[in-house]
Amino acid sequence: MNTRVGIVGIGHARFGKRTDATIRELAHEAVAPALEDAGNCADEIDAVVVGVASDEFAAQASSAAVINDYVGMAGKPVFRVEAACATGSAAVRTGWALVESGLAQVVLVIGAETMTPVGSARAQELMARAGDTRWEYPFGVTFPSSYALMATAHMHEYGTTREQLSMVSVKNHKYGALNPHAHLQKEVTLEESMKSPIICHPLNLYDCCPISDGAAAIVMANEEKARKLNDTPVWLTALDAASGEMMMSERPDLTSIKASRTAAEQAYKTANITPNDIDVALVHDCFTIAEIIAYEDMGFCKKGEGGKLVQEGQTQIGGKIPVNIDGGLKAKGHPLGATGVSMAVEIARQLRGEAGPRQVNNAEIGLSHNVGETGQYCFVHIYTR
Amino acid sequence: MTVKVKFGYVSVLPETEVVTKFVEELKNNRLTGTRCKKCGKKHLPPRAHCTCGSGEIEWFEAPKQGKLLTYTIVVSPPESMTKQAPYIIALAELDEGSRLLAHITDVTQKNLKLGMRLQVVPRQIDADRIAYGFKPL
Repeated sequence: MNTRVGIVGIGHARFGKRTDATIRELAHEAVAPALEDAGNCADEIDAVVVGVASDEFAAQASSAAVINDYVGMAGKPVFRVEAACATGSAAVRTGWALVESGLAQVVLVIGAETMTPVGSARAQELMARAGDTRWEYPFGVTFPSSYALMATAHMHEYGTTREQLSMVSVKNHKYGALNPHAHLQKEVTLEESMKSPIICHPLNLYDCCPISDGAAAIVMANEEKARKLNDTPVWLTALDAASGEMMMSERPDLTSIKASRTAAEQAYKTANITPNDIDVALVHDCFTIAEIIAYEDMGFCKKGEGGKLVQEGQTQIGGKIPVNIDGGLKAKGHPLGATGVSMAVEIARQLRGEAGPRQVNNAEIGLSHNVGETGQYCFVHIYTR
Repeated sequence: MTVKVKFGYVSVLPETEVVTKFVEELKNNRLTGTRCKKCGKKHLPPRAHCTCGSGEIEWFEAPKQGKLLTYTIVVSPPESMTKQAPYIIALAELDEGSRLLAHITDVTQKNLKLGMRLQVVPRQIDADRIAYGFKPL
């Protein structure tokens, strides 16, 4: 390790159906407050990393160039990072690597995506092509269907219930209602959640995250610069990653995401902590079953006990490990490229004690977990104050 | 001139040599995969190259019986599969250990039980399209 890397500026656009803004304007909405938060340090930015998952959604190839120019960074080194649904975390890790290696002192990391201009069936189609186009896409495999395969297996093997899946939805909507940047700022009842229309059995509409537009940005710096730019830097203590097999049929375990476990184990080791030390966590809840599996993969409970953990209220504020207290992907929304950066923004907010009604008391250590596709990419980041 | 048969209900990739050979065998009710001559790893469905980096492969015939590992009923399909929906996607483990993903038919939701015995069958989708599928054994 050459230097500690600190988050010194955070900014977040409102997630939602944003027909009022293009991808560049959404990026501006996140970048402007992030730069202001970092002491108006635009001139000190050495490099820009942009995470955008899909050209087809934005109808804009090579989005990094247009975003970089629009936020006033033309002239600086810039490049784009992509890791499907984990694109944002890949961008954060890339920015961290630039600073950690000494190649840059201050880096601006932007995650952005516009998804709503295409309809739901088209969006499913575009995302399905991120799957294995040789042997699985030809059967109409979609993201909800892949996670539904895991849900069926988890329910069968561990007795996870329909009700427990819906409890994740109810919890995340409860916190989404407290987040002014969330796409779905409304609470839902357990009954509404359980009775919503089936998308891919056993997953229903309220088990699925919405299709959203949005952006988030952070400024990060080496220790010396970080202390100058912000009084309360949040340190990027351990950033680890792993990958997985392309086809669902090659997964060694259908009730766990191996890449999540590997990345988490490495991150805990790097940070020299255990899962019990985490005060607040954001995990990848693209579907309710994904959050339950993530509890187990992150080590917040034993394998098979994720359903019980949410049922006992242990993942709410005041519980053993508050999870997705910003609404999660489920209620906050999941604009692919923005999600991982949004996680870093929320954890920084929590560790600074600035999260308002959704603040976890005395949060000192935070964790974010971001999965690309169904485990082909995985990032686990640990933050400290 | 013979029409080149494509694999799957929908496809976006060209039919390469390995797919063409696989499809020819499937038409004759044979399920085939490739084995790496260097490290011995089996690939079903087949691959032209092994994950170990070797391009030296040989073909093997796999058993067509196995058991159901998990399934989902797709009600909300991607744009390209609108006409097929609803359909049941299943993952099965074949008796020699390989796993395969395909549609399962000839079964009602009530009768679907994880662990149930399945048979792999060729499924002619239309004149120039074929896939494999599962049905209860």
